[in-house]
Amino acid sequence: MRELLNFRRYTLDNGLRVLILEDHTLPILSYQVHVKAGSRFERPGITGISHLFEHMMFRGTSRLGPEEFSKIIQSRGGIVNAFTTQDHTTYWENVPSDQLELIIELEAHRLKELKLDQESFSTEREVVRSERKMRISTTPYGAAIEELFSLAYLRHPYRWPIIGWDSDLRKLSLKDCQEYFRLHYAPNSMVIVVCGDVVPERVLDLIYRYYGDLRPQECFHEIEPEPPQRGERKSVFKKPVELEAIFWAYHVPGIDSEDIFPLLGICECLSGGKSSRFWQKFVRPGKATEVRLVADPPPFWPKDPGLLILYAIEKPGTPLPSLEGEIEEEMRLFKKEGPTKDELEKVKNRLKASFLRNLESLFFRGLVGGIYEIKLDGFEKSWEILEKYESLKAEDMIRVAEKYLHEDNRTSIWVKSISLEENARFGLIE
Amino acid sequence: MKTFNLNPIEINLDSNNKILALPYGKVPLSYLVMLIKAGSEKDPKGKEGLADLWAESMTLGTKRRSLEELNFQVEKLGGYLEGSAGWDFSLLILSGLEERGNELLDILFEILSEPDFPSSEIEKAKERRLSNLLQFKDDPSKMADRLIWNMAMEGTPYAHPINGSLSSIKNITPEDIGHFHNQILPKERFTLFILSKELKAEFLKKAEKTFFKLIMQKEKNEKPPETKPSTLQPQILILDRPDLTQSEIRIAFSSISRKDDRYHVLKLMNYLLGGGGFSSRLMEKVRSQKGYTYSIRSSFSSLKTCGTLIISTFTPTDTTYATFEEILLTIEDFIKQGPTEKELEEAKRFFEKSLPLRLETPKQLLNEMISRETYDLKFQDLFEEIEKITKVKIEEIKSIANEILQTQKMQVLIIGNSQHFVKNFEDFKNLRVVPYKDVLP
Repeated sequence: MRELLNFRRYTLDNGLRVLILEDHTLPILSYQVHVKAGSRFERPGITGISHLFEHMMFRGTSRLGPEEFSKIIQSRGGIVNAFTTQDHTTYWENVPSDQLELIIELEAHRLKELKLDQESFSTEREVVRSERKMRISTTPYGAAIEELFSLAYLRHPYRWPIIGWDSDLRKLSLKDCQEYFRLHYAPNSMVIVVCGDVVPERVLDLIYRYYGDLRPQECFHEIEPEPPQRGERKSVFKKPVELEAIFWAYHVPGIDSEDIFPLLGICECLSGGKSSRFWQKFVRPGKATEVRLVADPPPFWPKDPGLLILYAIEKPGTPLPSLEGEIEEEMRLFKKEGPTKDELEKVKNRLKASFLRNLESLFFRGLVGGIYEIKLDGFEKSWEILEKYESLKAEDMIRVAEKYLHEDNRTSIWVKSISLEENARFGLIE
Repeated sequence: MKTFNLNPIEINLDSNNKILALPYGKVPLSYLVMLIKAGSEKDPKGKEGLADLWAESMTLGTKRRSLEELNFQVEKLGGYLEGSAGWDFSLLILSGLEERGNELLDILFEILSEPDFPSSEIEKAKERRLSNLLQFKDDPSKMADRLIWNMAMEGTPYAHPINGSLSSIKNITPEDIGHFHNQILPKERFTLFILSKELKAEFLKKAEKTFFKLIMQKEKNEKPPETKPSTLQPQILILDRPDLTQSEIRIAFSSISRKDDRYHVLKLMNYLLGGGGFSSRLMEKVRSQKGYTYSIRSSFSSLKTCGTLIISTFTPTDTTYATFEEILLTIEDFIKQGPTEKELEEAKRFFEKSLPLRLETPKQLLNEMISRETYDLKFQDLFEEIEKITKVKIEEIKSIANEILQTQKMQVLIIGNSQHFVKNFEDFKNLRVVPYKDVLP
């Protein structure tokens, strides 16, 4: 598998890192710019700025109008987008390989000549507020999950949502954006990934030509670590829903920990597929609509200590306390006995197959390399992923279950249903 | 730039049923997909959701293996097994590690030739579906998608959600599943797709030999009469949900069937109107210029006998009517002026040049193959279709836009806090306002 992630790394004098991967199977390439700019670099008052700024990167430059960047790429047969996470912002274009120079030139151009004006800023802020409503306010459990994070974290920036609090979005100014851009969008805070039907020497020539004159920027971030949780935190979130739900969050280590692999093994064993324990025990017999233990697999697992989330959506007729009790019992059983031999084989194969399935696309391969590089300063660590899945052991899964999946390390929110009349007392969810 | 060409191996089991195989992909995985050319359009009235439940039921156990054993076996091979229906087709998908390809093939054949349809598991599957439908009710966006589809397809065999409704699912019995199976599998045509990084000759021989046995059990199918959609009356339905801060808006139009000669023109027109992201008119006007929404798109479904084109967006409550108005103005202008030469050329180039990107992974390729094979269109004709797209003229776009985007016949659905915008809609004919809580999924 290493050959699928065998990037060549180059570092420019200004600190810009470039990862290049050759694959001539199809005449296409994926171009990605990963920036150390995610919600972990924000502070109260400017939450959501990383994501809002991501939008601003499409609003035009000295020579391009709003969204013209995207239009040009689409007109050449490409697909373009960006996303913001807690740890980074990623801009990407998947294009025919004969568009290499155009992409490099355009991406460098918007870094140098970005147009940040009040009109675009005001329009885009409303777009983001609409996005926030779509993701948080109008979804069944979005606001409860938001509260889960802010209850589980007391100090670390992971406590606020990537999209930001609505109250902060309303207050953000163009000046905040300009300052954020100056600090975070410097070459020494970026990794460029180019993979596909390319010749590395040519890519490197072009990168030097278009990005070589960018100036590095010193940027120091002190991230307040999260103190250990000293006992369970519980809350209730009331809103009109058809199905009530339980959300648990356990603190778990960041992506550089070896423990993430047995933790993913537990998630897979308990809730991956129809033969998983939770599906067989709760979903199949109709005790719950859904019960899952989930975490973001690498490379998306967070840089700093993150949360492993269990969610259980009720089946009408099974009260939440009884559902919670049965889930706790299943967790106890797992900690005591771990996976069976057959389960362990299944878990390994499923984790491997799922990762391999994703590696079919150049885009995902680029993400693996780029995100490992920006989070851990070394894409090489991604080579271990399959080996780690292959060498999973039952005793490690039991060990990490005991270490992390216990009550004192848990934050719990129950989503309880109320009538529209009762809801009116609380006001609208923004 | 390299040329991009794909030629699947075609093995005809008889004149109606075949295997399409292709060595494809970079990692050692196999995909086995059985396409049966009948789907939810066959759902009997009152038992909507039957085809989809039948397809799932095939994964609930065989005469030799229980649900648990079957799924454990598949998942142990690093695989997944799914059964589902589309409008005009049903699918069984089995994927897993390539080195276990023979076992995957045997399992797929076992599922098709020896299904058990255990009553107790079917009853549980129904219960799960009912819960999932209740979950839909909590999500106004999903509810909007379901309801607008029904409104757009009224009078056709497609006027129901594929996964049925709370009332129709309750009506389906395990006997219905068995009966449906006996009606569909022996009569409807199938195609087995095999995609794998390496495709060995002996593996293909085994597939041919194994699935030929299914042919032996087949009966002749009488062609069902073709149905045509009825002429829709325009209507605006507002579902009132006072706790929402954002409205879901859907606007639907009748459109053409998959076999219509102008399918490629529709594809291009949709891209220009709202399917092309930031290159589309709706995105430019409603999001980029007005900032009313995060997302707006148009999408179309062209089925065996008819089709629909749906515009979907959402917007904060106080801009609900302004957004609706802006959409109508954009449509009006689009019909009158059509796209500019530049817009049209750029859209054509997108379709022409993005083909390798759109077929990069086995999953993407399978989706394209399935959607063509369902309507008996040759995979290789995809390249011809692209060729045709590059020759479309502005007048053709205007003509099809004018035919489809008839606002006097549109179906409109809005879910939101209606007291803030309902007055603006009062001049429209056929306006209905219904409490959201009274609508069942």
